[in-house]
Amino acid sequence: MIRLDNVSKRYNLRANKPFLLRDLGMRLVGKRPTTLDFWALRDVSLEVKPGEAVGVVGRNGAGKSTLLGIIAGTIFPNSGNVATEGRVCALLELGVGFNPDLTGRENVYLNAALLGLSEDEVNERYDDILKFAELEDFIDMPVCKYSSGMTMRLGFSVAIHIEPEVFIVDEMLTVGDQSFQKKCLERITQLKESGTTFLLVSHNHTNIKFLCSEVVWLDKGEVRATGSAEDVLGAYTDAFT
Amino acid sequence: MKLLKEVWARRFAIKHLVLKNFRVRYRNMALGVVWSVLNPLIMLGVLVFIFTYVFPNRGDQTFFPIFLLIGLVHYNSFARMISASTLSIVEHGLLIKKVAFPRIIIPVTTVFSQVIDVMVLMALLTVFVLIFQVPTGWSYLWIFVSMGVQLVFTLGLAFITSSLHVYYRDMMYIVESGLTVLFWLTPIFYPLDFIHTKLPTWLYGLYILNPLCGSIHMSRLAILQQGQPDVIAAGIALCVSLATFVTGVIMFQTLQRRFADYM
Repeated sequence: MIRLDNVSKRYNLRANKPFLLRDLGMRLVGKRPTTLDFWALRDVSLEVKPGEAVGVVGRNGAGKSTLLGIIAGTIFPNSGNVATEGRVCALLELGVGFNPDLTGRENVYLNAALLGLSEDEVNERYDDILKFAELEDFIDMPVCKYSSGMTMRLGFSVAIHIEPEVFIVDEMLTVGDQSFQKKCLERITQLKESGTTFLLVSHNHTNIKFLCSEVVWLDKGEVRATGSAEDVLGAYTDAFT
Repeated sequence: MKLLKEVWARRFAIKHLVLKNFRVRYRNMALGVVWSVLNPLIMLGVLVFIFTYVFPNRGDQTFFPIFLLIGLVHYNSFARMISASTLSIVEHGLLIKKVAFPRIIIPVTTVFSQVIDVMVLMALLTVFVLIFQVPTGWSYLWIFVSMGVQLVFTLGLAFITSSLHVYYRDMMYIVESGLTVLFWLTPIFYPLDFIHTKLPTWLYGLYILNPLCGSIHMSRLAILQQGQPDVIAAGIALCVSLATFVTGVIMFQTLQRRFADYM
């Protein structure tokens, strides 16, 4: 279950250039330091029920990644409420959780541990993870020697074996070759049936239509449309042709 | 308390982060773990040589090389833990942006990754104590207490510097300069009593607020004079350490909410 009520997130575009002394000076004379505000999300409300999959579409910079970050719990909203139920797992982008100097095995353990599994759970699932990633022969090699497809396969395999209640996916169905993609979709369908909640960001409308019954269209940080996949994707495509 | 529970729930992640730090550090090295011993051995060895043969005993201090080593072991442990952990949050930036876990485990694991090195330093110190035939007894065990007090202080300070470094990357240079200043404002080359006689009372009061003073003093008493800790110096060190720790945790927990925005 995911529920967002009127969530807003403001970024200060000047934040990466702190003028500590100047700011202090301005505060002393009673002025607020200048800021350059950018609303990545404004009053976004959203509900995804257990076992449901919702797709998110929108142009670059529409706030999709911020939305996912807020649901994953890495970004705190400026206002509004976020509620999730159960373990939330975000599929990591290529290489995020992986350290290139460690072997595949060490990375599996590190990654699974960071995503919240306990030692017993990892030991129990380790063989399945390897089998799913089809990397049994390379698991004791450092990950920097892997091809990018292999790394992605391993990352995906770890994430999918976390068996989270809420699964957040940012553009991942491009993992590996055809047969692996097919396997991933099968596994995702299987998880969905067993009650996992999905939130999927993708520019690939075929995948969204395949998995999601409902789609949210984000535009400049606001929800522009929400409804059945067919309708929203249709309107979205029309708007840009 | 809630934080403690969360961190405890992630003990498996802590273990693997510490393991990661070790593995990354020693991979692709011919000598690997040996450097953990060799490096401090060279540092301590050359100091012992210099202060035994080049500048021999200053007369007022028995076992001057050992006296020096105790201070250096303390200072070095502190310095390497602080410099490593200050950068730790920013180094794990990608992870922080993508995965939700109690952020405080990052500086904690970075500090604990140095614990093996600190143990090596302490073991080498013990070896030199035996070589110099310093008469010691059970009081020797107090060095674990003094190191423990220092560890509490180090953790607290690491929380402060690592979280501030996310917002102001100047922190790295502040820490670097701070460590240089601290090197001379810590009784490494001179005894604590010496500074007591040199400084006016109010200035000495400020000086002693540095918990390294109390903990080095405690170790020296324990090793060189088989003595109990000096209650005042050790007490101040303990109080300041605990206060720093609590401040650090509160500050870190406040600042961590916006970490992802600054990466």
